[in-house]
Amino acid sequence: MSLNNILTNWSRYRKGAEEGGFHEYEHQWGMVVDLNKCIGCNACSVACYAENNLPVVGEKRCGKNQAMNWLRIERYWDEPDLEPYNATPSANIDAWIEGNPPAKKTELKPSMPSSYLPGLLEEGGQNFEQRVGFGGTKSEFQDFGASFLPMMCQQCHAATCEPVCPVAATYHTPDGLNAQVYNRCIGSRYCSNNCPYRLRYFNFWSYYEDAWPEPLHMQLNPDLSVRDKGVMEKCTFCIQRIRVAKDKAKMEDRKVIDGEFSTACVQTCPTGALVFGDMQNPDSQVSKLWSYHQVERGKTKQSKQNKELRGYRVLEGLNTDPSVLYLERVREV
Amino acid sequence: MKKKYRVLGLFSDFEEAFAAIADIRQYKVPGVSVDDVRLMSPIEHPEIEEVLGERPAHVPKFTLAGAIFGITFGFLFLASAQANFLVQPQGGKPVVPLPSNIVLTYEMLILFGVIFTVISFLTLSGLLFGKKEKLYSEKIAVDQIGIIMELDEDTFEPLKALFRQHKVLEIREEVIK
Amino acid sequence: MKYVNEKDINEEIKWAQINTDILQSLQNPRKAYWIAIAVCLAMLSCAVVAEVYQYQTGLGVADLNRPHMWGLYIATFIFWIGMSHSGTLLSAILHIIHADWRKPIYRFAEAMTTFSLMTAGFFPMLHLGRMWNLYWVIPYVSDRGIWPNFRSPLVWDAFAITTYLTSSALFLFIGMIPDLAICRDNVTGWRKKLYTVLSLGWQGTDRQWRHFRKTYMLMACFLIPLAVSVHSIVSSDFAMSIMPGWHVTSFPPYFVAGALYSGCAAIITLFILLRYFFRLEEYMTVALMEKTCKLTFAIAMVWTYLNLVEFGATWYGHDPVAKEVLISKFVGPFAPYFWAMMFFGSVLPFALAFEKLRRHMPTMMIVSILLNVGMWLERWMIVGPTLSHAYAPEAWNFLWPSIVQWAIVFGSFGWFGLLFLIFVKVFPCVSMYEVKEMVFHRRREAHAEVAEKFHRRAADVQQATGRPSVEGA
Repeated sequence: MSLNNILTNWSRYRKGAEEGGFHEYEHQWGMVVDLNKCIGCNACSVACYAENNLPVVGEKRCGKNQAMNWLRIERYWDEPDLEPYNATPSANIDAWIEGNPPAKKTELKPSMPSSYLPGLLEEGGQNFEQRVGFGGTKSEFQDFGASFLPMMCQQCHAATCEPVCPVAATYHTPDGLNAQVYNRCIGSRYCSNNCPYRLRYFNFWSYYEDAWPEPLHMQLNPDLSVRDKGVMEKCTFCIQRIRVAKDKAKMEDRKVIDGEFSTACVQTCPTGALVFGDMQNPDSQVSKLWSYHQVERGKTKQSKQNKELRGYRVLEGLNTDPSVLYLERVREV
Repeated sequence: MKKKYRVLGLFSDFEEAFAAIADIRQYKVPGVSVDDVRLMSPIEHPEIEEVLGERPAHVPKFTLAGAIFGITFGFLFLASAQANFLVQPQGGKPVVPLPSNIVLTYEMLILFGVIFTVISFLTLSGLLFGKKEKLYSEKIAVDQIGIIMELDEDTFEPLKALFRQHKVLEIREEVIK
Repeated sequence: MKYVNEKDINEEIKWAQINTDILQSLQNPRKAYWIAIAVCLAMLSCAVVAEVYQYQTGLGVADLNRPHMWGLYIATFIFWIGMSHSGTLLSAILHIIHADWRKPIYRFAEAMTTFSLMTAGFFPMLHLGRMWNLYWVIPYVSDRGIWPNFRSPLVWDAFAITTYLTSSALFLFIGMIPDLAICRDNVTGWRKKLYTVLSLGWQGTDRQWRHFRKTYMLMACFLIPLAVSVHSIVSSDFAMSIMPGWHVTSFPPYFVAGALYSGCAAIITLFILLRYFFRLEEYMTVALMEKTCKLTFAIAMVWTYLNLVEFGATWYGHDPVAKEVLISKFVGPFAPYFWAMMFFGSVLPFALAFEKLRRHMPTMMIVSILLNVGMWLERWMIVGPTLSHAYAPEAWNFLWPSIVQWAIVFGSFGWFGLLFLIFVKVFPCVSMYEVKEMVFHRRREAHAEVAEKFHRRAADVQQATGRPSVEGA
C-alpha cells in the first residue's frame, strides 16, 4: 500500500545526495582526462561517432550548431594571462565560484575555425567574437597552439539536467550514470538548457533519414538504437559496452575487472590521455588517479594539500559533482 | 381541501417591494410568513435580502472541505506516486522532495477549492437540475423585482391587496391544486 | 482638474437601456470587427502552416540550436501567460476591495485571461520535440508504474496552468450566468438554445443571488493567490535552473509585475477596440480608460523598479558569469532589443502620466500596443541572452530565429484574437447586471437620504420583529 510505503520508508525517501541519497551504487563509472597528454587529434570524437551511431549532420546544420558531437574537443586559443586576476569578469568560472581566483587569469575564449561557423561568418566576414559582440579584443594566438579540452557528458551525481525533466526521461542509474531514456523523452529540452556544460544534444531533424546514405547504414552499431527526431541524447559512457561487460562478469560469476573494457574514446586515444573505470573499485586506475590528485566526490571545493596536483573538475563550484576528472595542462612560461 | 395558489408580484420601485416584504414580516397579512417569500431581482440586493431574514448559504463550508481535500489528496497523491517510482531519484534530490510538492499541493488546494465551490454553488442555489420557479417574468431580467410565494385561499386576496397597496405593477398567479 | 467631476458612467441611464445597448453588441458590430476577424484568420493560418511544417520536419526548421534550445516559443509562452494575469487578478482584486469601476470592463478582461491562457498553453506543446507524447506529463496511473517528474518546473507549469485555466474559466462563466439569463430572455434561434443551456436556469431568486454572492467572492479570493502563484511558477522555469541570468531570486515578483503590466496594456488595447467595434462609448467611458491607464502606469513603475533591482543585484553580486550575461544584454547581439525593451517598458509608460494623452484613444491604442511589444521583448531578453552566453564558452552562440518561429509567434496573436472576437460577439462583453448594480449604488450614494431611509427601515423591521417568523408559519 502506498500510504504504508511512505510512512515506513519516510526517512529513506527524504535523503538527498548530501546524506548519501536513496541509491546504493553498484558501480560508479568515472573518467580521468589528462590534458597534458591530449594532442587535440579528435580521434576520440571520431570513435564516439562510430560507436554511438552519431549522425554526421553536414556543413549547414553544423554551422547552425545542430551537430551531435557527444564528445567534443574544445579549443581555446588564448595565452594564459600572467597578470594577477583583476576584477573584470572572465569565463574562468571554476576559480571564481570556488572563491579562490588563481594567480593567473586564463581567459577562456571560444575561437572556432571559419569552417565551423559558415553561417556566422557569411555575414560581413566578422569573426565569432566580433559578431557575438563579447569576449574582448582578439588576441594573438598563444605560442603553444590551442589548449584542448575534451568534453563529454560529465555524468554528474547531482546532475542539474535530471530534476528538470518533466517526464523523468533522464535519471540516475545504480551505476552512477546519468542515463537518458530515449523512448521516454518528449523533447522539452529543459535538460539541455540546464546543463552548464551544454553537453546535451538534441535531434532537431530526422537525422536517421540522411546521415547514413547507402551503404553507410551497414556500419551502424547494432548494440544501440538510432535516435528518432525530437529526442535528447548525450554521451552515455558507452553504456552498451558497460552492459556487455557486466553481463559477462555475471555469467562468469565474478566482478567486473578494471581495464577489462573501456569506452570507445578511451580505447581510441593514441596518447592515453583518457582513463575510464569504476570508482567504487579502489584498485582501479581511475580511483587511484582521483585519490592521488586528492579530488573527492560530493565536494564543491577540494582541499588539496599539494598545490602541484593538477586535478580539477569542470565547474565544480556549481555542485553538480561530475564524474570526470581533468588534469590541468602544465606549460612552460 | 383548500385551493393553493402561486403568486408573483412585480414591482419596479425597489423601495415598495422592500416595504411589502417588511409588512409581511410584520404579519400585516395573517398566516403569511416571511419565510415563504422568495424574491427575484435583476441585481444583487443584499439590503433587501436583509429584510427576508437570515437565510443560509453554505458554500464556504464546501470550499473549506475542498481546500482540505486538495491539500491532503494532493500531497499524498504526489508522495505516493514518487515513493512508487524509485527509479527517479535525480539530481541528488530526495525521493519525496518537499519544496516541489509544496508548490503542487498548493495548486491542488486551489483547484479543488474552486471545483468544490462551484459544485456546491450549482447544487445549493438550485441551478442546473434544481427546482426552478414556475412563475417567471422576463421583466425581472430587465429592471423589475418580483416577490413570489405560495398561498392558500385565505391569504390569497389579502396578500394581493398588500401588493397593490405597495404599487405593484403586475400580479401573476396560477392555481397549483 | 477639468475632469474632476467626471462620472465613470452615466448614472441616470435606464436599466432597460443597458440591456438594449449591450444586447445590440451581440448583433451588429461595425465593419471593422469583420475585418479584424479576417486578419486574425489570416494570421492564424500562417502559424498553422508553419506548425505543420515544423511537426513534419523537426524543430531544426525553427533554427533552434544547441545553446538556443528554447527560443521564441518559450518567450512567447511567458508573454501569453503574463497577459492572462491582469484580467482575473484585476477583476478579483477590484472585486474584493469593492472598486466598482471594474464592472463595465472586467468581463472582456477575464475573457482575455482565459483565451490568452489557451494561447499560452499551445507553446509548451508545440515546442516539444515529440509533441505526440505530450500526455506523458499528465500524472496518470500507468501499468508500468511510470509517473511524471514532479520536481520539474515544467510539470508545475502544467499543474498551474490547468488550475488557472479551470478556475479563471469558471470565474468568467459564473460571473456571466445572470447575463446569460438576460440574453436567454431576449433572443431567438440558436442563441436561445445556447443561452438556455448555459444560463443553467438562472432566475435571479434570492436563493440564487445569495449563493452567487458568496461563490463569487470565494472564487475571487482563490484567484488572487492563484494568479500570483501561476506566474511565480512560470518564473521557476528559469529561477529554479542553474543558469546565469535565470537563477535570480527576484524573478517571481518580477514576473508577476511584468504579467500585470502586459495584461493591463492589453486591456487598454482591447478596451479601445471593443469600444469602437460595438459602439460601447456609453459604458467603456473615457473616465474608466483613465483609471485603467493610471493603474497601468503604477504597475509599469513597479516593473521598472524590479527590473533595476535585478540588474543591480547582478551587477554588485559576486557572480561573474551572471554579470557577463547582463553585460551581453547591454552590448551583445541582443542589445538593440534590450534597449528597445527598456524604452518601451520604462520610458514609454510616462505617456500614461499625461491627461491629454490618456484621453486620446488613438494615442493610447498605439502606446498600449508598444508597451506590449516591450513586454514581449522583455520575455525574449529573459530567454535569449542566457542561452546564448552561459557557462560553457564553447556554446556561446547567437542564432536569429527562423521564419517558422516568427510565423508561429505571429499566428498566436491571430488565434487569440479570433477566440476573443468570437467570444465578444457571442457573449455580452459588458456585464449588464453589474453595470446596473453600479449605477444603482452610485445613484444611491448620490442621494444619501434615500440610502439612509433604506437602512433605517431595515433596522426598524429587524428590531420590531426579531425573528418571529417561525410562529407566523
